[in-house]
Amino acid sequence: MEISNIWYFLSALTLLSALMVIMSKNPIHSVLYLVFTFFCISAHYVLLNAQFLMAVNIIVYAGAIMVLFLFVIMMFDLKKNIPESKSSLTKLAGSVVAGTLLVILIAIVRKNNIPAPLGDKFNSQTGMVENLGQVLYGEFLLPFELVSILFFVAMVGAVLLGKREAGERNF
Amino acid sequence: MNYQPQDFLPIFVQLAAALAFIVLVMVLTHALGPKRHSAKKDDSFECGIESIGDARTPISVKYFLVAILFVLFDLEIVFMYPWAVNFKQLAWNGFYEMIVFMGLLLAGFIYVIKKGILTWEK
Amino acid sequence: MTAIIALSLFGISNLFLGFWFPRKTIQLVTLLFLVVSMALTVSDWNHELLWFGNMFRTTNTSINFSLIIQLAAFFVVAFSKAFGQDDEHTHPAEYYAIMLFSVVGAILMVSFDHMIVLFVGLEILSVAMYVLTGSDKRNLRSNEAAIKYFLMGSFTTGFLLFGITLVYGATRSFYISNIGTILTTTAPESMPSFLFIGVLLIIVGLLFKVSAAPFHFWTPDVYEGAPTIFTMFMSTIVKTASFAALFQLVSGIFGSLYTVWVLPVYFISMLTLVVGNISAVYQQSVKRMLAFSSISHAGYLILTVSSKQISTTSSILYYSLSYTLATVVAFAVLILVSEYQSARVEKPENFSSFEGLAKNNPGLALCFSISMLSLAGIPLTAGFWGKFFIFSDTFSRNIIYPVILAILMSAVGIYYYFKGIIAVYLKAGEIEKIEVPTLFKMALWACTLGTIILGIYPSLVKSVF
Repeated sequence: MEISNIWYFLSALTLLSALMVIMSKNPIHSVLYLVFTFFCISAHYVLLNAQFLMAVNIIVYAGAIMVLFLFVIMMFDLKKNIPESKSSLTKLAGSVVAGTLLVILIAIVRKNNIPAPLGDKFNSQTGMVENLGQVLYGEFLLPFELVSILFFVAMVGAVLLGKREAGERNF
Repeated sequence: MNYQPQDFLPIFVQLAAALAFIVLVMVLTHALGPKRHSAKKDDSFECGIESIGDARTPISVKYFLVAILFVLFDLEIVFMYPWAVNFKQLAWNGFYEMIVFMGLLLAGFIYVIKKGILTWEK
Repeated sequence: MTAIIALSLFGISNLFLGFWFPRKTIQLVTLLFLVVSMALTVSDWNHELLWFGNMFRTTNTSINFSLIIQLAAFFVVAFSKAFGQDDEHTHPAEYYAIMLFSVVGAILMVSFDHMIVLFVGLEILSVAMYVLTGSDKRNLRSNEAAIKYFLMGSFTTGFLLFGITLVYGATRSFYISNIGTILTTTAPESMPSFLFIGVLLIIVGLLFKVSAAPFHFWTPDVYEGAPTIFTMFMSTIVKTASFAALFQLVSGIFGSLYTVWVLPVYFISMLTLVVGNISAVYQQSVKRMLAFSSISHAGYLILTVSSKQISTTSSILYYSLSYTLATVVAFAVLILVSEYQSARVEKPENFSSFEGLAKNNPGLALCFSISMLSLAGIPLTAGFWGKFFIFSDTFSRNIIYPVILAILMSAVGIYYYFKGIIAVYLKAGEIEKIEVPTLFKMALWACTLGTIILGIYPSLVKSVF
């Protein structure tokens, strides 16, 4: 099979499942479609020869983050909270804006002056763990260490917002 | 080593095999097993106390807090993978970098424990 | 450069200090931390250097911006009153730690030389802000504001990231100095056209953070819902940092793509001025009025993006400083008055609760009025010179109609800022003497004096920038 055919198939699948995320009425189904979307994106990473990203995407997004999503859905009483539907004017405005962006992006792709990969500099192994580690712990040292500060903010934030305070109900 | 996308084919074959097995078994059990429906038999706890209400009750935020902390430390482990693969090439410099990273997150972990987030009963 | 390392460590140590020390001590220690980090920032003065694999650049401009940000954080901490006495529901150590972390993010945003550092800095700042916005957990408005800010903010961070990706795809570089060289040496026609989309998406992502007009809808709700002390933090630090990043990118490295962004930027700046000023007129709540006033000040700042005079950077720095000093005072007085009125009237943040403030609290009334005058741009205050420098820079670039509109709109601004002054001095009302802590009083007078000194001797600071 031609590799571009696989790409087209995967992209169609990704778009379809992403659409189902926002179109399905049941939030649990939405989450499951989202997991499927993440798997499709991981498959895209395989096509790009980025095995590390693929593994991380499945472990972190499809695994851990989706569990959080399910937790959040379980924390709400879904029967009481049926989201009110937006007015048709809002929907229309949203579609116009999104449609304009889509048209612009398509027009740009069709202009066809996307630079070809540099033949001599192209390295198919860029996405492999060894090369990624070399870059991450060499050139990208500052962002790497800063991520720990970002984690810290997230951790303190979670503790601050999620900790049960005195006088709150406990179950 | 020179990996190409087609090297992942075995993984996909395995995935497909696993999925196919699940589908096959599920179809088989439904097709082969006898079907006897009754109100009692379709109950969640057939021979327990009568079930009241709904399973969809809100859960405590404590579970969520633990889950969020799990995700954070899970991400931290992800950063260790490319480091471990390159352990020898990165030599001492890489080691110090990782010590700083882990040290910061260890401080976070100690903070979380001291704050009593992981103690269930208080 | 050492300041970001120091601030990160200070933030972590703050968390642990919270286990052992009372809240007053933590407040003082945090102030000390900020003074130390300001000293460390100054120590890089006149050393134009690249750090950490060329990802972090210290120039005198970036040092000035960092200093303004840290000064604003200093005043916010001084005005925080150690978050009251309520040990059950407030966590001062955590609040101060998150503030210090977000200052790290803000410093990264003003001194990045690599797109990823910009992104990580923005994320640190934004995540910290989402948390602080929702920190008043029992208040429904605060919760709503936090979720609104989080959803909108993460969506636009996506825009910024998409823009960075497209620019990277077109130029094959994350380093903004490289991107700048590539863009100036290559003819725009031979660049891939998605470069231009990338540039516009980056601009949109950052304009959201400075709350410019079509992207401003979150601002009033979030500013109103968040605890006032964190609104003060947001309206000064987030705005200064994001605008510095925007200015460095747009006016600096995308300068050769002038024709791509100049019309949208003009349009946005004019729209921001009109929306911010006209909506502020109709507000009953001082907090909401200040939110719209911060939108309109973003409009004045965006005007300068395209002016490209030698003095533009110093004008922006001067404007940011004068805006910061005035806004901080306005919010500080609002905190005192609304705390006093919260038990007495239904809506303690309205103009009506300021009525008669001057009778028993002449000091507070004076500080509030001077900050309002400065925000309105009345002569002898810092705000006047800020507006003057910006208008003259923009005018000398032959950008005439937007400047005329801006001048008209600042005339509209005088109306709603004077509404505050009238409420304070001319309306009758009963406000007893409000007890002000010493530290709070000192910070209040320092800011007010700063506003006046900057207003009388603008060259004092302008020559440093």
